[in-house]
Order: sequence, then C-alpha cells, then structure tokens
Amino acid sequence: MNLYKGKVLIVNLTDRSVKTEPLREEWKKDYWGCWGMALRYFYDEVSPDVDPMSPENAIVIMTGPLSGTNAPLTSRFCMVSKSPKTGTVFESNGGGSFGPELKYAGYDGIIIRGKADGLVYLKIDDDKVSIEDAAPMAGKGIFDTEVMLRDAVGCQEAKSLSIGPAGENGVPFACVGSEAYRQLGRGGTGALFGSKNLKSIVCRGSGSVRVADMSKYLELVNKYKETDVKTEDNLWAKTDGTPLLMDVTNDLGIHPTKNFTYGFDDNVAGLNSEAMQAAKIGDRACSSCVFACGKYTHINGAEMEGPEYETLVLGGSNLEINDLETVIRFNRICDDLGMDTISCGNVIGMAMDMTEKGRKDFNLKFGDKEAFLKVISEIAEQSTERGKDLAMGGRGLAEKYNSADLSTEVKNLEFPAYDPRGSYGMGIAYATSERGACHMRAFPAFDEDVFDLDGEAESVVNGQNFASIKFSMCVCDFWGTVTTDIMADLMSAGLGEEVTAAELNKSGERIWNLNKLFNMKAGFTAKDDYIPEKVMNQPLEKGIHAGKVMSTEAFEKAKIKYYELRGWDENGIPSQDKLAELGLSQL
Amino acid sequence: MEKNLLAIPDLCTGCNRCTYICSALKEGQFRPSMARLHINNFSLNGYSVQSVCFHCPKPDCLKACPEEAISKNAETGVVLVDREKCTGCGECVTACPYGMINLDEEQLAYKCDLCGGDPSCVKECEFGALLFQEPDKDLRKLRGQQMKQRAESGEPEDKRYQLGKSIMAAARKE
Repeated sequence: MNLYKGKVLIVNLTDRSVKTEPLREEWKKDYWGCWGMALRYFYDEVSPDVDPMSPENAIVIMTGPLSGTNAPLTSRFCMVSKSPKTGTVFESNGGGSFGPELKYAGYDGIIIRGKADGLVYLKIDDDKVSIEDAAPMAGKGIFDTEVMLRDAVGCQEAKSLSIGPAGENGVPFACVGSEAYRQLGRGGTGALFGSKNLKSIVCRGSGSVRVADMSKYLELVNKYKETDVKTEDNLWAKTDGTPLLMDVTNDLGIHPTKNFTYGFDDNVAGLNSEAMQAAKIGDRACSSCVFACGKYTHINGAEMEGPEYETLVLGGSNLEINDLETVIRFNRICDDLGMDTISCGNVIGMAMDMTEKGRKDFNLKFGDKEAFLKVISEIAEQSTERGKDLAMGGRGLAEKYNSADLSTEVKNLEFPAYDPRGSYGMGIAYATSERGACHMRAFPAFDEDVFDLDGEAESVVNGQNFASIKFSMCVCDFWGTVTTDIMADLMSAGLGEEVTAAELNKSGERIWNLNKLFNMKAGFTAKDDYIPEKVMNQPLEKGIHAGKVMSTEAFEKAKIKYYELRGWDENGIPSQDKLAELGLSQL
Repeated sequence: MEKNLLAIPDLCTGCNRCTYICSALKEGQFRPSMARLHINNFSLNGYSVQSVCFHCPKPDCLKACPEEAISKNAETGVVLVDREKCTGCGECVTACPYGMINLDEEQLAYKCDLCGGDPSCVKECEFGALLFQEPDKDLRKLRGQQMKQRAESGEPEDKRYQLGKSIMAAARKE
C-alpha cells in the first residue's frame, strides 16, 4: 500500500487485549490522516457526553500519509480525544520521530480503550505488540522513563510517548512527552494517559513507507524543498526558531506581560532571540525537517532543547521574569514532570497577580524566580494546597477565589502568548477553536488590519479550515507557505492516484465542522464561544495598542459574522445545507 | 588522495533526511532501518551522531570474509560486497567494529557503496554535517578519532550506539 500502512492497532487496556484492524478505507478520501482521520475514528468511538477521565473515553493516536517519507516537515502525529481540561473534543500534535516510527512498525494509528488495573506501558516491536507492567516506572519523570523504556525493549533507537508524575496524578494540563523535549502539549493528553493507567507507548519499527513512483516523488519533494520550503518566508525557523517572535510580538504590542496586564515587555532583551543565540549550543530537528527550529541551550548547568516562544513568554515575560536561565529550568522541569508550559506558566502568572492584589496569598510574586521554580513540582506532584489549587487552572482559581477578572482562558484552556486586545482576530480564534484558547488553528496576529472584525472573522474561518487539512496531512505549522495544491501534488505522486486541492480544501472544512458537531453534542453552545472579562473590560497597558479593549458588542458582532461565514446560524449551529454539502448529514 | 565520507556530529540535527534518501534510492522505499548510514539520537542531550562506513584502509569486514566477496578499490578506496560471491555467513557483520555492514532479508551482506562516488546522503544534508571530500588536517583528525572508537561485540545497532554514545559524551564534556 502506498503512503499508508492500512492498519490500525486496537488496544483495550481493561482486558489487556491487542488486535489490528484494517484502516477504514471509506474515510481516507474525506479525512486523509492525522487530525481528520483521528477525529473520524474518535467520533465513532465514544458518545459525546462521555466523562473524559472515565474508561469509556478513548484515545486515538494517528499518523499522516506523508509521515515517514522525505517530504519536508511531515513527521507530525496527533492525538484526538475528549479533553479533561475543556470537556471538548481536541487534537494535540507533536513532532520528533514517533510518527514515522509507528508507520515503520506497520500502523497508521492506535486506538486505546478502557483502563488498565495497574500502571502499564504498550510495547510495539513491529508486529509484536504487548501490554507490559510499568510499576518500576511509577512516579518517574519522563526523562528517566524514556531511558528505562529503551533498556526494557533492548533498543536505544526506540521512540516513545510517556507521562510523568503530572499525568499520573491527573493534573488536567499534564502532557505527553516524547524524545525528552517534544510534547503533545495542550488539552491534557497526559491526564488522559494517566486516567487509563497508561504510562507509555514505546515503539520500534523496522519496516518501510512506500510511494507509487519513487523517482517522481523524490523529484517533487526536491522541487518543493528548494522552491517553496527553503524560502525567505520560512527560513526564520532555521536561523532563529520561535524565539524570533519575542521581539515581533513586542513590537506589535501583543506580548503578554505581568499576567496579561501589558502588551509590551520592557525587559524582553533577556529572553529574545539574541539571548537564545548566546545560549545556544546546537540545532535540533524533527524527522524530515530541513530547518531544525529546536535550539539546544545551555546556561550555568541548565540545559535543554528550547525554550520556545510560548514558554519564553508564559514562563518569562508574563511572570516578569527576564532571566533565560530560569525559563530554561522551568521548561526542563515541566518537560520532565509532563506539564504543558503554556497552561502551567499562565496559571502561575494568574496566581502571582492574585497574590499581588490580595485575593489569595500563594507566596508567589512577580519576578520571584525561586518561588516560581519551587511551585512547579508542587503542581505536578499535588503535594501542597497551592499546588492543588493551581492545577485547577485559570477557571478553577477564578471560581474558588472570585477572580474571574484575572483569568485568561476560553473553555478552560489558558491563553497562549498573544494578547487579543492588540489582535482582535486572535480573540475570535481563541473563542471559536474546538479546544479553547489556542493559537494553532487560525493565526491572524500578523494580518494587515488586526482590528477589522469582519475581515478577521473571515481570516479565522480560512485559517481554521486550512489548519484542519494541513494537520491532517501531518505537515508542520512552520512550512508556512505550503498550499493545498502542493499537498495534493505530493499526495498524488505518493498514492499514484489523483488528489486535488479542491477535495483537500473541502476536507478541511469538513473536519472543522465535525469537531463542531461533537462539541454541540457534548453540550457546548454559542455562549461557550466567548472571550474572557479581562479582554473585554481591562484596557491593555503599554505597547502600541495601549488603551485597547475588545468590546462585548464588537466581539458578539464578529462572532455572528464568523458563524455566518461558516454557514451556521446565529446560535452557531451548522445548517442542514452545510452539513449536506460536507457529507456530514448522517452524523 | 582519496575522498572520504565524513561525518561531523556537532552539526547533525537528527533530521534523518540522509537515511530517508539512502533507503529510498537503495531499497526503493523509505526505510531508515535499511539505510547504509544511521543516526544515533541522544535527544535528552540534544545531540546526534551519524554512523557512516569509513571504507577503512584495512577493512575488518574484508579480512573476515571467507569467500573473498568483499573488495577494496585501490583507486577510490570504496569497499564493496560482491553479492554473487556472498554466502551470508555473517563473518563480516561480526568483524566490523562500527556496525556498518549487515545482512538483509535475503541473508546477503549489504553496506554503503558511496553511490558510485557521489553520495546522496551528503547532497541531502542541509546542515553540512556530512561531507565527501579529501579531508584536510582537522577532518583527518576527526575521522581518526571516530575510527579509533571500536566496538568488539554486539549487534550492529548496539555497536553504533555504543560508539555514538562515547562521541556524544566527549562532545558534551567540552
């Protein structure tokens, strides 16, 4: 079979059974792979009202059709499930080389059902698959766990997905880690592994991925690599990586500082790309990447791959910490304990704000490095009262301590590092994403007129549809110039049958609408598509957009416009015509 | 002087594009496990070490072969397997201290052939971590240091990892 392996691994942890099933052929041309295919499987797998942390919830892990080939930046794989953080369906994708490895082992994806009666890991060695006892790894960080897994399977090049103590303890923003510094970061992937008593999945694959016509495929890959990938628009990923954004968002006045009080960090120089370059000792790439955006840094014995932009802001500027060494330490601890640095950093920022404003004394002050680094493990280990409080996330803290005005979340997912008051489109993107406040669905922050609400509503719709197909093809976000024409071209050569950009575009919209259908059935309505009070009522301070808020009226108008552009009614419900057009009427 | 395939681990990002192209051209499919070079990843340390065939001046594989199926070209230095003569005894696999020759599914030996003098892996590397040229003094020294690391036993993959690990440890200590 070309591009695909044609097999999905079905794992039931409750009765510890493993079997394979053929990949659902009938879904291929509508959902393609990765996000789309995982979502379609998931939709079939659970009832939308399922409790995310119950054995009845399922986890779907899926690779993409181009993964495992040398098409550039295509190693990503994803997980789809119902999020313990948001209660929505969600997708989280990661890079590295787990995705290609899974395909080399012979599988397009894995479906995980049930719950084991003790801590286990899933061992995949080509066609030998088993569920193994993970008791010796209980409580271990991800770094140690990865070493133990490689030793246990007797292969140093095995790839794995693991959780740390945060996932085992059910912290709702716990993540899954792979190859030390890569994560399925957002939405509580780690908590879901933990809820199933699944510590890890380790995989070794010695097989291959085939394409229909190798010489044609290589020729196309080479062409696009030279003419579209390695171009001025994308090369920032090679030279700087995401830390480049530190100065960019500061200049744009959307750089979250002091718990989203300011849009400009006076002290960004401590954390910007120049600071990163000074600390850099190597460049790191995911499989098939030509850029290597991962910058391996070292300062005073603290080292890791990263930090990335979001972490530099939410574990730096937003806490008024402008010391790169501290952010490196924060990031490394989070990666080892298995926590999303965005949510974790964001909620610590809120706790610092609450402390400063006298709402609740968490003994956390803006700029206090020592207290900052100390609280991280308390959250993961759930070892103190404040650790337990912070694990509740922004919404939980707001409710418990009457502090909604200090919280930045949508659907209980904390904001990433772009302030919507200086980029209204980001506000619409956060409000309408399937998984809450997320920057990976639409990214209108660099649009020409960031306050033109109608234009931004359209930009968000287009961005979401495109991200839906791009991530279903397992293409990395940082191939920023890729088009559905290019993806269709690669798919056609790989599969040996014609794939058109038009059908990929349609699939993107279909995938987005299927997410919507799930969330509607899970009880989400238009009132859940909101932006928080802080963005509505408190003017942004500092930076070029100082004084800006996003009014309730303007936002609600933009939301209706967004629904309209989607072919949804004013309550955000897709019309029958739209569903029919997308082939979703029966779902 | 003959050209050598040279690996510079300090520049390797672990992207594996070299193993993708190698297996695509040699096997007609993307299959890094069958590539003629390998990448050992030390993710936690942010380091990767390539394993390449050195086409040794005095190849252990050649010496070990009881069938005289392995030869070294006097002019180019390339070490090749004659698969017509190979019986699949595996002596070469045991003998190579770098884990760079192995038996395929037909139980015949396969290894790097330098793509006939224009290695694809080198052209594919975006980071200058693989070179094919006459080594200058520094590169000769680097190659010498790598060749000095010899694993006496283990499966090819284990040998490669063992050697890679000591190269990584030395680099990260600096």
